[in-house]
Amino acid sequence: MSSSSGLTFKLHPLVIVNISDHYTRLMAQAAATGSAGIPPPLRVFGCVIGVQAGRNVEIFNSFELKHDAATDSLDRPFLETKQEQYKKVFPKYDVLGWYSIGADIRESDMVIHKALMDINESPVYLLLNPAINPARKELPLSIYESELHVIDGVPSLIFVKASYTIETVEAERISVDHVAHIKPSDGSSAATQLAAHLTGMHSAIKMLHSRIKVLHHLLAAIQKGDAPPEHALLRQVSSLVRRLPAIDSPKFQDDFLMEYNDTLLMTYLATITKCSNTMNEFVEKFTTAYDKQSRRGGRTVFV
Amino acid sequence: MSKRKKKSEQREAMDASSSIARQSWELENNIVPMEHAASGSSSPSRLGTSSSAPAAAAVDSCDSIYAYDEAAQSAIQQQKPWTRDPHYFKNVKISALALLKMVVHARSGGTLEVMGIMQGKIEGDTFIVMDAFALPVEGTETRVNAQADAYEYMVDYVQTNKQIGRLENVVGWYHSHPGYGCWLSGIDVTTQVLNQQYQEPFLAVVIDPTRTVSAGKVEIGAFRTYPQGYKPPDEPASEYQTIPLNKIEDFGVHCKQYYPLDITYFKSSLDSHLLDLLWNKYWLNTLSSSPLLGSRDYVAGQISDLAEKLEQTETQLAHSGRMGGFFMPSQKKKEVSLFVETKKRLESTIYVCFYQEESQLAKITKDSSKITVEQVHGLMSQVIKDILFNSVTPVATAPSFDSSGPEPMAEA
Repeated sequence: MSSSSGLTFKLHPLVIVNISDHYTRLMAQAAATGSAGIPPPLRVFGCVIGVQAGRNVEIFNSFELKHDAATDSLDRPFLETKQEQYKKVFPKYDVLGWYSIGADIRESDMVIHKALMDINESPVYLLLNPAINPARKELPLSIYESELHVIDGVPSLIFVKASYTIETVEAERISVDHVAHIKPSDGSSAATQLAAHLTGMHSAIKMLHSRIKVLHHLLAAIQKGDAPPEHALLRQVSSLVRRLPAIDSPKFQDDFLMEYNDTLLMTYLATITKCSNTMNEFVEKFTTAYDKQSRRGGRTVFV
Repeated sequence: MSKRKKKSEQREAMDASSSIARQSWELENNIVPMEHAASGSSSPSRLGTSSSAPAAAAVDSCDSIYAYDEAAQSAIQQQKPWTRDPHYFKNVKISALALLKMVVHARSGGTLEVMGIMQGKIEGDTFIVMDAFALPVEGTETRVNAQADAYEYMVDYVQTNKQIGRLENVVGWYHSHPGYGCWLSGIDVTTQVLNQQYQEPFLAVVIDPTRTVSAGKVEIGAFRTYPQGYKPPDEPASEYQTIPLNKIEDFGVHCKQYYPLDITYFKSSLDSHLLDLLWNKYWLNTLSSSPLLGSRDYVAGQISDLAEKLEQTETQLAHSGRMGGFFMPSQKKKEVSLFVETKKRLESTIYVCFYQEESQLAKITKDSSKITVEQVHGLMSQVIKDILFNSVTPVATAPSFDSSGPEPMAEA
């Protein structure tokens, strides 16, 4: 289910945390000033930047924008200043769209969207729903594209929801993991590190397993006749299954075993180093303890 | 029926014990989710989340750290309690956003050092870092006043930020040491001493993105320098980290001029919620990441560095024999070597052996164990994935329970 315009969207977690922080900050400040007449809900606006390479749109970062409530438009010179600043540090990122907070899109959003279209001919619109609902299982973030549709004979732009995937760099993943989940801090022993690593793998595999179970149940139901057979789905499942085993060529086995052996070699080296260290210490202690008496006289020569 | 009841009881017990375990682990590991903060702050009800009014009140109180209190901050600036005690600041609280931004920026620099500025506030003896941004400067190791070039950018940025509600002041700077650990080099110490003279209160943070990726946990350190001529009380040795040979002198000469601060992290309630949900999409990346492939260069570098250090140690031990203790590099315990020179007796040899924290060889052993452990972890992941995805032979009939999902073997 890709977007109708054929673009694939990839979102980095940094953007999500950025938007959330922007919102929390303004909320906290509004609460601190204790103003009774706060317009609900407070909307924040910002710009998303990233790289667009052909059909891939990858959103890396975002920054905040000033919004003029009176004219309901974004402050243009401000946007340009910020854009310049970010260009200096991240020269590869371009403005890809904008974001806002709310539960649903509004009429006024289209106006802002059109205003941005002169920077980027097809901007994206990210909408984050800040309501914390523990029942929801998916990210309350949606990406909309604008499309030209003919409605009642009049071509107009409407928002069309697009799907996206979360993309991440290794470092990003580790720091998000660190803050999101419980990870041992520095100074932990090897045992806790091992436990943490394996727990991470375990939770990932658990997710995989639960997803597969769902598929399996569905297939069983189709087989029994409880659910209507969906050919597209069945085709996908069959192609999935046929891709196992994932890689089985002899070359892969060779490389894999080589990597395995390399690691074993490293372990061997480390153990040897440890042994030689223990031996060295032992010999030192031995000489210090046992030679002292016999060679007391001749010691002063060295000193 | 009874079996089901037992299972649900077991599950309840497990949930209870797992939540206890989680809480104790959270306590131990410096992660403060700030969800159980004291309620009862009387903020007016707001937002469209009127359906969960008590939840909204809790949200207010625990996210209150995000509010910026101008008056309180300027009061602290007037008092300047840090001028009386060089060891005044002890803790640092870093927000999830700041950490993420700093690590991503550091990693994007590759093997080049990058630097940036942190914004936040002070609370008692704690620095609170709310946000960070990157500076368009390169390579701070050889340029003492790299910050002078970036001042204009920094001032500009802070000004623009004030307009959109980021009211905090600059409280420090961060930079990266890709691959060689979190400590302050000579130039860094000079810069920081200058900063602490003219821009107090100021904090220095160092991040190592290469080690972060290799070890799978964030390598970060926060430091404050002592003013010139201040003799710090002997403090317990901080966590040991391995320093490559070509940097070890720089490290040793200056390591007494600054002290590390304790780092904890915090996140807002919305952050926690989003990050929890993010995990639903994230597990894929955890499974498919392969730290072995990513850090090959770094691991090879570490091993060759260890080899050099071993050679050095070997020559030392061979030439000095029993008196190896005398020639230990003066990076630790300068007082001890002085002691040895002045006393020059058999007893002093014994004292040296007692007081030096670790011999060179022991340090090398620690380093080699650490790098091996990381390597073994990576291999474990690979083996698990191999078992999961490769040990199935194609069968004509319906898939069994053991067969697994679609992901092809990892290719980082």
